[in-house]
Amino acid sequence: MTEGPLLAVEGAVKHFPVRGARRPGRGGARVHAVDGVDLELQPGETLGLVGESGSGKSTLARLIAGLQPLTAGRIIFDGQRMDGLSRRRLRPLRRDIQMIFQDPYGSLNPRRRVGSIIGDPLAIHRQGSGAARRRAVQDLMEVVGLNPEHYNRFPAEFSGGQRQRVGIARALALRPRLLICDEPVSALDMSIRAQVVNLLTDLRAEFGLTYLFIAHDLAVVRHVSTRVAVMYLGKVVEVAAAEALYARPTHPYTNALLSAVPVPDPRASSGREQIILTGEMPSPVAPPAGCRFHTRCPKAQSICAEQEPPLVETGTDSGHLGACWFPVQPGEDLIAAIRSGPP
Amino acid sequence: MSELLAEVDGSANGLPPAPIEGRGPGQIAWQRLRRDRVAIACVVFIALLVVAAVFAAPLCHLIGQSPYTPDRGPHGLSPEGIPIEPSTHHWLGTDDQGRDILARLLYGAQISLLVGVVATVLEIGLGLVVGTVAGYYGGRTDTFLARFMDVVLSFPFLITALALVARFGPSIVITIGVIAFFSWSQPGRIVRGQVLALRERDFVEAARASGAGDLRIMVREIMPNLIAPVIVYGTLLIPVNIVGEATLSFLGLGVVVPKASWGQMLADASNQGLYTVAWWYLVFPGLALLFTTLAFNLLGDSLRDALDPRRGGALRGR
Repeated sequence: MTEGPLLAVEGAVKHFPVRGARRPGRGGARVHAVDGVDLELQPGETLGLVGESGSGKSTLARLIAGLQPLTAGRIIFDGQRMDGLSRRRLRPLRRDIQMIFQDPYGSLNPRRRVGSIIGDPLAIHRQGSGAARRRAVQDLMEVVGLNPEHYNRFPAEFSGGQRQRVGIARALALRPRLLICDEPVSALDMSIRAQVVNLLTDLRAEFGLTYLFIAHDLAVVRHVSTRVAVMYLGKVVEVAAAEALYARPTHPYTNALLSAVPVPDPRASSGREQIILTGEMPSPVAPPAGCRFHTRCPKAQSICAEQEPPLVETGTDSGHLGACWFPVQPGEDLIAAIRSGPP
Repeated sequence: MSELLAEVDGSANGLPPAPIEGRGPGQIAWQRLRRDRVAIACVVFIALLVVAAVFAAPLCHLIGQSPYTPDRGPHGLSPEGIPIEPSTHHWLGTDDQGRDILARLLYGAQISLLVGVVATVLEIGLGLVVGTVAGYYGGRTDTFLARFMDVVLSFPFLITALALVARFGPSIVITIGVIAFFSWSQPGRIVRGQVLALRERDFVEAARASGAGDLRIMVREIMPNLIAPVIVYGTLLIPVNIVGEATLSFLGLGVVVPKASWGQMLADASNQGLYTVAWWYLVFPGLALLFTTLAFNLLGDSLRDALDPRRGGALRGR
């Protein structure tokens, strides 16, 4: 293993052609799903990725998993460039990067037995055979808390939480180093959520995994992540260590996002006010010029509509990056700023 | 969690855990089918038909009749050369040559089933491959293959059949080939539509993330999900093809005399207006064709119901 980050995403861009009338327009409208993202993952850390739906989180996950080609930019895994590799050259890398999907119903083939689903990565990479592979699959089932005797069952015979465990077992089969979790618990019941999150946390230690953990549930992300990145309209607007980001968010968008997290204690929440953002997220087909958040930002000035803020060190903590011309200072009352109206 | 599982297994109350065997979609469908009386009746009828076709020769021997040799005695043809009506000698009467209709029906069943099944297998196989490739790859491949299927669908069936028979002479191979060529694009389109939806499912993405290639995804991930519609469609295609063979034989483009085919018998019966004096000559082959197509069609409908995952509990009867 080389020194440095396990994964580096440099200026990743993914545009999708808009399917207008019949044929995708050449040079026509494009969805800017991911529009210049830089990220680094250190070995052993869990990077939480949060943002509204449509902010490009899942697309970024698919780019890193090698499921979709980049429009521009680079993805470097363990010192090795993996974008633009042919499928054959990509295959050995796939062993190291696996993915857990959001929908535990859609991500398991309903016509195949779970034993065969979990063993599939082993079969594809020609690891073990017959009894040995079966043994490996049953070990995996045990690791993720499934009864190994359910080897011959079909996905329909499992609950949502159990299915998600099947998905996790499949992702672990090849002993990957990076596990991309694309909203792994969003589709699950509250009661099951904690179990699966705890399982993922345990597995990180047991298998020495690095996680890219995508979710829109900020509480879950805080629980599992060592660092958190916030995405808005295809860009990362803020990255920081988890505690720093939750305690001292500098980007106005992050502030708004965090103020929207429900607090279980009504007395604690009564003294707290939510930052209500006005308007909708602009269309990713035509993202606003300058800072993408300026159309909804309570602190926006004229520069925000003209120039895009770079992702630079902000705040008091080292390694705390933000992309904002006017970062929120500690103690600043953003709500008062909203009340007094846009400057 | 493990206590919960143990309870389900029965291992919590000291019993040895029961062997766990998953009930697959196929087993669930089978259980539903078993409770469907119409389906069972159809299966029984088709099974009897298959037995009759396979054992046509011994059965004919048993009833002492031949499909080819005319009965030159008084029970074959009347002195005026008119077929004799059903009697103890010929249970279903005789035809214009004085041959036993029952024996010819039994041999005709061979042709009907052979053409029906072989043509269907060819159509389904071709449709499955072309439809899967078109739907999976999409883009230009899809455009090309979909247009090709449209062209095949718009070909005039009878005119092409006539031309081919005129060139190569009638034979069972030509019959099967013509029928299969004209009907594979129908299942092909259905498969393509299903694949278009299936390839967007997460499990396909998951397989790709595991490093699976296109062929593996098509064969191992997508095709298992096509089994149900293909079985249903295949069952419904068999009667269409049987009628197709009957049509070709009726027009003299199919099975060659003296071989018997239901369509050819119908043609003989109507050719010289014989059915006006010998109703049995027309009615029995007609009934055979009717009941056979009906049985396959009803079975196809029942299969569609049984294989429908949206239809509630596995054990709920009709």
